[in-house]
Amino acid sequence: MSSETSKGLLERVRGMRDSMMEDLAKVTLAWTSSDGFQTINAVISKPTLLTAAIFRKATESAMADVLAKLNLPSREDVLALSQRLTRIEMALDDVGAGMDQLRRSSQQQRPAPRERENHGGGRPGKSPTVKEG
Amino acid sequence: MPTSDASVTPGLLSRLSTMAANLVKVTTTKAPIGQTPRQAIWTLNKATLFRYTPVVPAEKRHPVPLLLVFALMNKSAILDLRPGNSFVEFLLQKGYDVYLLDWGTPGPEDAQLGLGDYALEYMPRAIRKLKSFSGSDQFNLLGWCIGAMLCTLYSSLRPSEGLKSLILLTAPLDFTEHDKISLAKMTEERYLDVDLVLQVYGNMPAGLIDYGAKMLKPVENFVGGYTRLFDNLDNTKVVDSWHAMNTWVSDAIPLAGAAYRQFIVDLYRGNKLVKGTLIVRGERVDLKQLRASLLNVIGEDDHITPPCQSENLLDLVGSTDKEILRLPGGHIGLMAGSGAYKVAWPKIDAWLSQRSS
Repeated sequence: MSSETSKGLLERVRGMRDSMMEDLAKVTLAWTSSDGFQTINAVISKPTLLTAAIFRKATESAMADVLAKLNLPSREDVLALSQRLTRIEMALDDVGAGMDQLRRSSQQQRPAPRERENHGGGRPGKSPTVKEG
Repeated sequence: MPTSDASVTPGLLSRLSTMAANLVKVTTTKAPIGQTPRQAIWTLNKATLFRYTPVVPAEKRHPVPLLLVFALMNKSAILDLRPGNSFVEFLLQKGYDVYLLDWGTPGPEDAQLGLGDYALEYMPRAIRKLKSFSGSDQFNLLGWCIGAMLCTLYSSLRPSEGLKSLILLTAPLDFTEHDKISLAKMTEERYLDVDLVLQVYGNMPAGLIDYGAKMLKPVENFVGGYTRLFDNLDNTKVVDSWHAMNTWVSDAIPLAGAAYRQFIVDLYRGNKLVKGTLIVRGERVDLKQLRASLLNVIGEDDHITPPCQSENLLDLVGSTDKEILRLPGGHIGLMAGSGAYKVAWPKIDAWLSQRSS
């Protein structure tokens, strides 16, 4: 009996909580989609971003100087190298695809095994079947 | 009352221990997601093309392979969330030859990657590999969210590359009804300085994207999810499902800087795709060139990509075989929610199976 009562009480509390959250969700949604909220976001984020940009520029330039003095590649050098590697990867991918195509077309052009046997082209002792990977 | 205590206590103890175990699980571990066996058959930079191991014999399989393309700023594991609730698993069981183009996580060196790079450098190469691997000259394409947008760009710019049919899920394509799109307000020029953000970060950080998306429904996202977990803490099945989704949600990835800039400036602000003025790597995107069979799936309750962002698409494309499918559900719940296997997946299968032979 007491467990049923507490269950009922729990359900009531949950119901109240859910309806409260629903109301809160509506209010919050109205606020977060308002111009006021977006303006506050922009007002807070812009100076933060500007400061971060200035700080980043300063550290990057200091780091570049240090790396140059140590005769080490800079961040830009490493990024450029990585981009170049991707371009090489693309070129290799194209070459690989071209070779695949050549292999397939040469396999298609090769006479079928029976045809080769008829023309005396079959090699004795070896299976004429072409296996594709 | 000694008798009632004796009957209640063991049950209560077992319930409490289940709750404690579940709480420890969700707070200290990551759920195993994306478990369906697959094989990487192609890579380029961070992108990988996977082929899922078929579960249906070759003679019973649909001959036209299907390529899945997910968004750029979340991991593609949502398509294969967990056994029993995996779209990939469902497709394999229905006899599709399933491939997935996973974009990977962009690093600082990828900040220059734009939408055109993804749609015209990565996708065509991955598709070339898919065709040579599967031996089929035709293929079907399914894109979700920004993945759907990339698929639209690809299909409009490369309409003669063997694309048989295209399925778009919650595609953000049309920005005409600016006031109905919550994210559009957030990204207005007066509130967001895209160039400054990218100057600081290079790529758009995952945390900022996540914040933006969560602020569209702050109470539901920051509180609601946890109260739902708390209410069901003694139900391991519900907790496992919540845990899998939470693992995926918390594992967002940054968006390549140039792609983000284009997305905000050209699409959210300029609405250039629908206006026909979008230029991608020097080519103008003309939606009339999209001629493949088209299924446009819309989530009626999608607050991230509301229905108005793609419901007029059918009037803009050149396809003759085209259909719109409106389903109950939100941006993610539509395809990965607990009811997806009863509603969305069978409907997509019914449409796709007719176009896969």
